[in-house]
Amino acid sequence: MHIINNAARRLFLRQAGAMSALVGSATPLALNLAALSTASAQTAGGYKALVCLFFFGGNDSFHMVLPTDAASWGAYTTTRNQAPDPISLLPVGTAPNPAAAAGSPARLGGVLPIAPANPQGRAFALHPLMGGLQGLFNTDRRLAILPNVGPLILPTTKLQYGQSSHPKPKQLFSHNDQQNTWQALGPEGTTRGWGGRLGDLLAAGNSQPVFTAISAAGNAVFLSGDTVKQYQVSSNGAIPLGVDSAGRVFGNADVGAALQRLASSSRSSHPFDADTAAVARRSIDAEQLLRTALRAASDPAFGTAPATGNYIANNDPKLRYNNPITGLSAFNPLAQQFQVVARMVDAGLRGATGTQRQVFFVSMGGFDTHDGQNTGLSDLYARINQAMLYFDATLGALNARNQVTTFTASDFGRTFTSNGDGTDHGWGSHHMVMGGAVNGGDLYGRFPILSLKNPNNSNFDGSPDQLSNGSLLPGTAVDQLGATLGRWFGASDTALAGIFPNLANFNPAVRNLGFLQA
Amino acid sequence: MQKQLTVQTPGQTQWATRLALACTTALLAACGGGGGSDLNTTQAADAAGGTARALAATPLASGDGGPPGASDQVGVARGVSRDNAIRFLTQASFGPTEAERDSLMRSSYSAWITRQLALPATSHRAWWEARDAAIRAADPNTMAGQDQVFESFWKQALTGEDQLRQRVVFALSQLFVISALDGNVGNQPRAMAAWLDMLGDKGFTTYRQLLEAVSLHPMMGLYLSHLRNQKADLITGRVPDENYAREVIQLLSIGVVKLNLDGTPMLVNGNTVDTYTPADISGMAQVFTGFSWACPAAPASNNCFTNGSSSSISDPDRHFKPMVAYPQFHSTTAKTFLGVTIPAQNPANPAASLKVALDTLDAHPNTAPFISRQLIQRLVTSNPSPDYVRAVANVFVNSGRGVRGDLKEVVRAILLHPEARLRNDTAGKLREPVLRLSAFMRAFPHTSDTGFFRVGNTDNPATSLGQTPLRSPSVFNFYRPGYVAPGTQTAAASLVAPEMQLLNESSVSGWVNFMRDNLSSGVGQSNGTVNGVVLNRRDMRRDDSVQMALAADSGALTSHVMGRLLYGPPHIALSTEITTAVGKIIIPALNVGGGNQAQVDAAKRNRVNAALLLTLASPEYLAQK
Repeated sequence: MHIINNAARRLFLRQAGAMSALVGSATPLALNLAALSTASAQTAGGYKALVCLFFFGGNDSFHMVLPTDAASWGAYTTTRNQAPDPISLLPVGTAPNPAAAAGSPARLGGVLPIAPANPQGRAFALHPLMGGLQGLFNTDRRLAILPNVGPLILPTTKLQYGQSSHPKPKQLFSHNDQQNTWQALGPEGTTRGWGGRLGDLLAAGNSQPVFTAISAAGNAVFLSGDTVKQYQVSSNGAIPLGVDSAGRVFGNADVGAALQRLASSSRSSHPFDADTAAVARRSIDAEQLLRTALRAASDPAFGTAPATGNYIANNDPKLRYNNPITGLSAFNPLAQQFQVVARMVDAGLRGATGTQRQVFFVSMGGFDTHDGQNTGLSDLYARINQAMLYFDATLGALNARNQVTTFTASDFGRTFTSNGDGTDHGWGSHHMVMGGAVNGGDLYGRFPILSLKNPNNSNFDGSPDQLSNGSLLPGTAVDQLGATLGRWFGASDTALAGIFPNLANFNPAVRNLGFLQA
Repeated sequence: MQKQLTVQTPGQTQWATRLALACTTALLAACGGGGGSDLNTTQAADAAGGTARALAATPLASGDGGPPGASDQVGVARGVSRDNAIRFLTQASFGPTEAERDSLMRSSYSAWITRQLALPATSHRAWWEARDAAIRAADPNTMAGQDQVFESFWKQALTGEDQLRQRVVFALSQLFVISALDGNVGNQPRAMAAWLDMLGDKGFTTYRQLLEAVSLHPMMGLYLSHLRNQKADLITGRVPDENYAREVIQLLSIGVVKLNLDGTPMLVNGNTVDTYTPADISGMAQVFTGFSWACPAAPASNNCFTNGSSSSISDPDRHFKPMVAYPQFHSTTAKTFLGVTIPAQNPANPAASLKVALDTLDAHPNTAPFISRQLIQRLVTSNPSPDYVRAVANVFVNSGRGVRGDLKEVVRAILLHPEARLRNDTAGKLREPVLRLSAFMRAFPHTSDTGFFRVGNTDNPATSLGQTPLRSPSVFNFYRPGYVAPGTQTAAASLVAPEMQLLNESSVSGWVNFMRDNLSSGVGQSNGTVNGVVLNRRDMRRDDSVQMALAADSGALTSHVMGRLLYGPPHIALSTEITTAVGKIIIPALNVGGGNQAQVDAAKRNRVNAALLLTLASPEYLAQK
């Protein structure tokens, strides 16, 4: 428990609560933020960061967290053992068959058992290539699993799902809309994400607001708040706009200054000009700060300095994983995203970026496994396993594990049925939370019942949790997940109710899922 | 033509009203009929300036000396002003060359389009195959790859005559998306080239024909996994793959909510109305079962269905020949979707199922506005008015000759609509990175040492364009048509800006740095020895003798550079800033005897490159307004 920080945290929560009461009035948010003194916010428990790891395409979490009690395992194997390329993983203890096809269940060997503190009368395992995460769950207890999370307006039963009058999230099963809903609680077109809105509340503690919400993986609506704008950093760190280290372009500092000036200023009334200029302005300003604030990627805290020559991330053994399809070592871009996040966290902890609260976004694609699931997910899970372990170890070396909480998200889960070599779009899915503040080694939320498909239709009559083709009806809402993270981050109940509009529809006892230490 | 329209205040609403009025009278043909009436210089100049201008029947402007926009007032009554020609060619091509600009100035928009549509297509696949043969001849252990697809793309974009076709192909490649980021696609570069050819061919027929070609193309079959998709197995519980079924509905035809003909969402009690349910997807998924490789032993051979070969015999062109139907793998149960039901079949009839499905999508009331609006966004403006969308959608519904989905006429209607000529603070779009580079390389023509135009992969946003043709992150393209950039003035103005999804703090610097290096070192991949000549330099470079001759006069140089890259009102503040900065580069006096000629030339070249880079980095260039 983090008792030492509680007094400061309570102070901060009171202030944030007072502020969010103001937010409900007509007072512009920016003024409210200004009213909350930066100094007092900085005393509130020290540095904290949230990291969203997004799996684009819809991760088949049936393939990642598996119930292994007899009934569940039987339903799983029967449903997923389909020609031509069965995607049913093999039982705990099955020895890998080196002669089997790369990525196939036989080649991978059995699933890896995990031991939740409260197993709900069942048994569980992880994908065979997640051995590192198994240790993080079983031994280190810094990893928790959240079963069956997804967007919900309010608690929903299978019966209610079939009722058109019962409110449901818009555009279920659609990639772009559900990505947006996970990140911003509404379909495509919703432009304020809950990471950015948490940032709005807490950016007052940051003397450099530009570094409040940072994406290492391109554009993410998750990070856009009312006042907080996402800053998109390259995996290599910040990039100077046009000029060399002396501010010159084509050898001339006056031209360099003019270049930066005219790229970052608008001379027309067209909003496109103002917006492109504003992005350039942020790029230039942030780079000037980060140039000195960030320690080098080759620093032993984050990477491996080469014996000779320049640091090349692709060659850094810390950022490489064993590709299970080729059997060869390969560069892991996700690990490099985590690397730049770790460098930002390090700078934040040292006070070099003037930030007390930061929200990060990293991601990987390729999860839309309609086909080729065995090879596709084997490779992706190997990367996840290596990258998350790298990040945990790096934060450990920075003594920052307790200050950084990482959680996974994805468009949706997938169908329980197989289409022969893959799965289709679903809804609820299992997710992971990692960090020193996480009450790890347990499940938070009821693990869904898996049943057999009705041979006459696509229904799964034996499960209260499975819809057509076995997709999961979520038992935990994204709002609950976000509110639990937000509370740890320092947001008050009032503030959380404003950010997560569906939270009030859930029983107060489960609005905080309890996976984070108070 | 009609009398000049006189508008004192160029507010959008007034314009919309007046243009709508004009459409009902004098401009009828150009406002939706797709006929031959031209918008002449007069009206376009009005749109630009907001005041009626008397047009002098003076000779055409030539050269680049004047500030952009100055030649608005120069032109002939039946021609197009220099400024308008540049703007139009920015919409309808990969960017104006001097020659194309001058040609259009002597012509009309409509005649230019007609001439373009008559030009023959150049095959991307033929290019790839020739390159592959040459590469194999040089080294039997190598073969052509994706880079040769990009060569063909860029060669045609930069030097091709049929600019409109290739520009529309690029637009269509962003509506009908396959991506080489998926190895199933990326490992078949010859078929990627064939995909571009297919878009250039079927993209100028009807939407229905295009949709069928897309649906049966093995590259799409691989990308969205309906190739070798099987009917359900009722005993084991296997179900059909729903991937293509969902995306053909959501992305390639009708979208997720019901639309009015003008592209706005239909509202019932204030709420949007979904176009489909999960059950419609399941029903449609049954249609896309039983299609797989073209194969000599098809359809009898099950091995052909699964592997594309039987007894080791396969069709060498199977990666681009339309997929064929294998009835034994096609669902025979009744298929219900979008309000239609295909009755149970015995025997299975995949072709009949497909026809009903594609006819249904083609005929859906959403299709015309859904496709029309996105094509407008790709060519002209991110925020077309409902009137503009409706006018184009009407042409989609009926070309005027009774044809539905006539894509040539749709493109013509998009480019000739008065709103395409309108300039105000809601008009235009951001230039996407590929089009930023192409416009520069056409304004300042580059030659290729190899003749291959080896631009290569430009994926990296921090060091390159952050965009490579046919390599979008997903079937949702590089950006979404409804993208609103949070916290921006664009968002505050209730405008969308799809291309802004690619603009961020990394990519904005990446672009400037990429162009800085392109200006000083040339563009593209490096060559060692070409035809026996040791080069060790990048493949493409420009002849800058014209610019070098102007370099001593920073004002003249700036004016010249801006005049080729920009259009619109005189960008006085930008011009002043660039002129001043360029002037800071001191050109040493030439010694008697010319001993310091190299230093003089280096300084001049720095001035030329500075004038170019400062223009290319400006917000004025980054938006096509």
